[in-house]
Amino acid sequence: MDPELIKDCVHCGFCLPTCPTYVLWGEEMDSPRGRIHLMAQHNEGVEMSPEMAGHFDACLGCMACVTACPSGVQYDRLIEHTRPVVEREHTREPRDRAVRALVFALFPYPRRLRLVKPFTRLNRRLAPFLERVHPTLGALAELTPPRSRTRPLPALVRARGRRRARVGLLTGCVQGAFFPDVNRATARVLALEGCDVVIPRGQGCCGALSLHSGYDARRFAKKTIETFEKAGVGTVVVNAAGCGSSMKDYADVLADDPDWRLRASRLKVRDLAEYLVELGPVAERHPLPMTVAYHDACHLAHAQGVRAQPRELLGEIPDLKVREISESAICCGSAGTYNLFQPAPARELGERKAARVEETGADLLVSANPGCTMQITTAMRRLGRPPIPVAHTAQVLDASLRGLGTVR
Amino acid sequence: MLGHTRVTIRDGGPADAVGGVVPRWVALPESVEEISVVLGACADAGLAVTPAGARTKLGWAAPPERVDVLLDLSAMHEVLEHVAGDLVVRVQAGIPLARLAEVLAGAGQELALDVPFPEATIGGTLAAPSPGPRAYRYGNARDLLIGVTVVLADGTIARAGGKVVKNVAGYDLGKLFTGSYGTLGVIAEATFRLHPLPADRRWLTFECEGWEDAGALLRSQLEPSAVEIDHPAEGLSMVAALFEGSAARDRAEAAREVLGGGELRADPPSWWGRPPGSPLASLRCRVAPHVPEGVSVRGSLATGVYLASGATDLDAWRSRLPGDARLVGLAGEFTGDRWGPIPSLPLTRRVKERFDPDRRMSPGRLAGGV
Amino acid sequence: MTVFDRLEAVFPPDRVITDPVRLRTYECDGLTYHRATPMVVVLPETAEEVAAVVRACAEFGVPFVARGSGTGLSGGALPRSDGVLIVTSRMRRILSVDLDRRQAVVEPGVTNLAITEAVRDRGYYYAPDPSSQQICSIGGNVAENSGGAHCLKYGFTVNHVQALEIVTPDGEIVEISEDDFGYDLLGAFVGSEGTLGIATKITVRLMRAPESVTTLLAAFETIEAGGQAVSSIVGAGILPAAIEMMDALAIEAAEAAVACGYPADAGAVLIVELDGPAPEVESQLAEVIAICVATGSFEQRVAASADERAKIWKGRKSAFAAVGRISPAYIVQDGVVPRTCLGEVLAGIDALQDEFGIRVANVFHAGDGNLHPLVLFDDTAPGEGERAEVVSGRILDLCILHGGSITGEHGVGVDKARYMPRMFTDADLDTMQRVRCAFDPGGRSNPGKVFPTPRLCGEVPRVRKGSPGEIF
Repeated sequence: MDPELIKDCVHCGFCLPTCPTYVLWGEEMDSPRGRIHLMAQHNEGVEMSPEMAGHFDACLGCMACVTACPSGVQYDRLIEHTRPVVEREHTREPRDRAVRALVFALFPYPRRLRLVKPFTRLNRRLAPFLERVHPTLGALAELTPPRSRTRPLPALVRARGRRRARVGLLTGCVQGAFFPDVNRATARVLALEGCDVVIPRGQGCCGALSLHSGYDARRFAKKTIETFEKAGVGTVVVNAAGCGSSMKDYADVLADDPDWRLRASRLKVRDLAEYLVELGPVAERHPLPMTVAYHDACHLAHAQGVRAQPRELLGEIPDLKVREISESAICCGSAGTYNLFQPAPARELGERKAARVEETGADLLVSANPGCTMQITTAMRRLGRPPIPVAHTAQVLDASLRGLGTVR
Repeated sequence: MLGHTRVTIRDGGPADAVGGVVPRWVALPESVEEISVVLGACADAGLAVTPAGARTKLGWAAPPERVDVLLDLSAMHEVLEHVAGDLVVRVQAGIPLARLAEVLAGAGQELALDVPFPEATIGGTLAAPSPGPRAYRYGNARDLLIGVTVVLADGTIARAGGKVVKNVAGYDLGKLFTGSYGTLGVIAEATFRLHPLPADRRWLTFECEGWEDAGALLRSQLEPSAVEIDHPAEGLSMVAALFEGSAARDRAEAAREVLGGGELRADPPSWWGRPPGSPLASLRCRVAPHVPEGVSVRGSLATGVYLASGATDLDAWRSRLPGDARLVGLAGEFTGDRWGPIPSLPLTRRVKERFDPDRRMSPGRLAGGV
Repeated sequence: MTVFDRLEAVFPPDRVITDPVRLRTYECDGLTYHRATPMVVVLPETAEEVAAVVRACAEFGVPFVARGSGTGLSGGALPRSDGVLIVTSRMRRILSVDLDRRQAVVEPGVTNLAITEAVRDRGYYYAPDPSSQQICSIGGNVAENSGGAHCLKYGFTVNHVQALEIVTPDGEIVEISEDDFGYDLLGAFVGSEGTLGIATKITVRLMRAPESVTTLLAAFETIEAGGQAVSSIVGAGILPAAIEMMDALAIEAAEAAVACGYPADAGAVLIVELDGPAPEVESQLAEVIAICVATGSFEQRVAASADERAKIWKGRKSAFAAVGRISPAYIVQDGVVPRTCLGEVLAGIDALQDEFGIRVANVFHAGDGNLHPLVLFDDTAPGEGERAEVVSGRILDLCILHGGSITGEHGVGVDKARYMPRMFTDADLDTMQRVRCAFDPGGRSNPGKVFPTPRLCGEVPRVRKGSPGEIF
């Protein structure tokens, strides 16, 4: 925990209203300002007590505070540096350790995820039982989306019309396993906008889950860089907000190794919406007569600063109305593995977000992160509401570009 | 008499009575120090003191239990400091508002306070505030007051606030003394923030039956400075809205559109800002009030602050008003409770005890014997 | 039986904080220079709970301090190491909104901006707008009588609060209202910095949003030219909603922080906001622009949309925190001078910079003479912090010398209590102390703030001006 980074904080408190845990509990030590204070205490020699560790664990890593901070405090780096310290110095209860091990043995591995998929229907029925064994298991079971058909993507999708670019596509673990349609839509949109889309086989986890939880992400980062280098692409387009934000941090993750740092900095990482706006539209947009609510994924809006681009893309679609969700800066509670390890606050935040989404009266919720999508629909189910249909920005664009008239 | 103080003293007479209580002496100090000397002497002799200005509201509120000395501030009528560029004026408490207005108009400025009696003094306007139409736009005396010099019962001279419009250093004694009816001490000098005189003023008036709701006007963005009603005991009511600014006429015309009628005029109606008669009561009610037969009400539909006349049984009227409305008998004879509920009375008593432990400053003029 | 036992009997464990590591996160508010770890922190959710804590404090003779969001800049919420810190951040319900009465009733932990957000889409707003409005709590605003950029036209918290429910230092729940006949206790309570009790319910005035709002950014070569423009605008009888000024150093900081895009070579920028009915705003804008040009402004930008307006304001509103980008440490000062003395005082500040070798960035509410000099220093350079402290104090002396105030909106708190005797006489302070004693004879409510070493409430001084003995 770099004291220089800590010193940037002038204690103004502008971060407080955007912090989900402060919104929930109203406690200083569960705000970014308070957590930075705790980091400073730790630097002064105060030991990592279970209480202190608990406040760091409670941080969703949504980075809304980074957006809100007028002093430019790099809370993202501070918390990422803090998490490994928590893992090193704080001994969790055996049950917690076991469950963490399970999650980290499962999620970063697309193949393993695909293996558990057939059991998802059973999972949901088992949720109350699993909940009693460990809250994380209950949350895990509840979150798993219904089964969907997976067909492998081709290794290369050729540009339609004049070729304007050649890009790689990250398929992602959760996205790939549970939302394969999003990847297909992404590939089609890119191709229709004139891109050759390279989809290397055997992609692993980008390291986001580990990075955001205080585990070593370097192995995942190196493998991902290697994969795309081999595929011969300079730009990787990412459609999962969490993955995009961690890939953009590769140079920092690999800072210890100059060679790898260089290789990381050579790889251009772009969120899909960010990339499409940079590229500029050529394909014809067909009308989509519907009302959508756009949800800012934290790892897109706060970590990557991508807020305007998705709205711009949606705004270009004829007949499509875009509604804003109030409290848009507040996290939905998904936050990577947060809803697994901190199920109670995650649930509360999810229900809060679900209520705000409902207030918009939109036909469709558009979100650019699979975690958010699962979180918000699960919250709606729990509240006994008919879950609003959810689509990724890519799917809405795909529907418009192909003239389907509606999404799905 | 009070010779060593060198302050002008004369015997009191029936014309000096405060709510029927005739003082033994009248003191006419000419400076803050003279006020202090008189009050110090009164403290030593255990004399009760009531301060007075132009005496326009000396009969308001309850009569004091005793008055030995009437402290007449009419000799303290100077403008002490007027820095036009700062829009600030410091005055002695005895200056009449009409006179101050003349001085300020010379610089194109005004103290944006409307009082029912133009001869009323600054001190009296603070100690016994009366509602004015433009309070909706500019606030009341307490809102425009930025500094004060007071003299306490024991002769202590204390200042609070200052001569800058923005200042949060220390307690705001000026506000505390607002509405104190001479029971805490004497307001000797006051400093106010001023406003530029508006380029133009226009009134829009219309007649109506019964009580009119000014909602449409207040919901509009035409920003009237005041919306007043004159609800007489008999006959039609009249509502008048004031617009100030270079586009006052256009806005008044737009308001007529909003209301679907009314008369535009360059001067206020005759009843504008005048009390309706006697016995006089103060009514604060933020929703349309029930008005008993034979009672006339004048005041602001925008702030819900009114003066009423003709009602003697205040308890009966109070029972027909919403719980948070306040009805207080100001002047005249009333049956029943003159004050109505004042939840903060215990705190008021404790303040009084600290400022005037011997109960010599206008004792009993306020509720609960304060 | 201790105060802890009493608190633990009233509150669930998660709302009484005793863990030392957690307690320390409450050791300061927005002024980090003063720190003290509270003995215990409680998080009440109702007025009854606040009253219960306060009564427990009375029973055991323990002092208490109220805290909202902890954004104050005078250390007003600095805890007592021997006292209870009562944090209102969980009392954040908007209890009612009544647009017919143009009123909202809220709990003290509700943020200033949340009130406006609750009524904005219906065309209303809450006028006071301190720069920290997105997080500062309304309870804190009441304690500090907070202002903001727009108080030039609309006044301060005290002008917009209509009634309060307070817990007195004895633990009684009392309502005070502007409708009460008699002393303006409401006016005395607002701005008393937590020394007269804790507000638990606040009734605020809501205002109809103006039909038109226009923001002008005018750039000047020198701060003197900008000051001249301010005087001329006021002299012309125009009362803008806000007139703000920033000097070159403050512009540099804001640019580094939020890329606000102010003219790069400006020695000063003036932000003038006009609001009201469209025809009034239109004619005033033309006049203001003409005045700016006449006084030497080389560039004027008029914000055409809400977005552009927000962008102009962003530089100003983030200026304090942004200075962190150009200096390792700094002191935010808050003083007031009569507007006509602005030029002299700024020249005086310049002289102080030269004398002490300390940089000062100036951000201020020029319309009402409220200066916010940011005194920059390097806390690793030996002696620099002390020199900055001296400069900061000298600036206040300048303000007092010109008939101004030691604080326009940040409050006295713990930070400026020692300056109070420079602005007020002993008699003034003793008189204020009488108010304190009326509300809080035990001296338990936020002791050590506002007043330097106050007298005990027992010893009321008796001043005798007249000679003793027979006088008539």
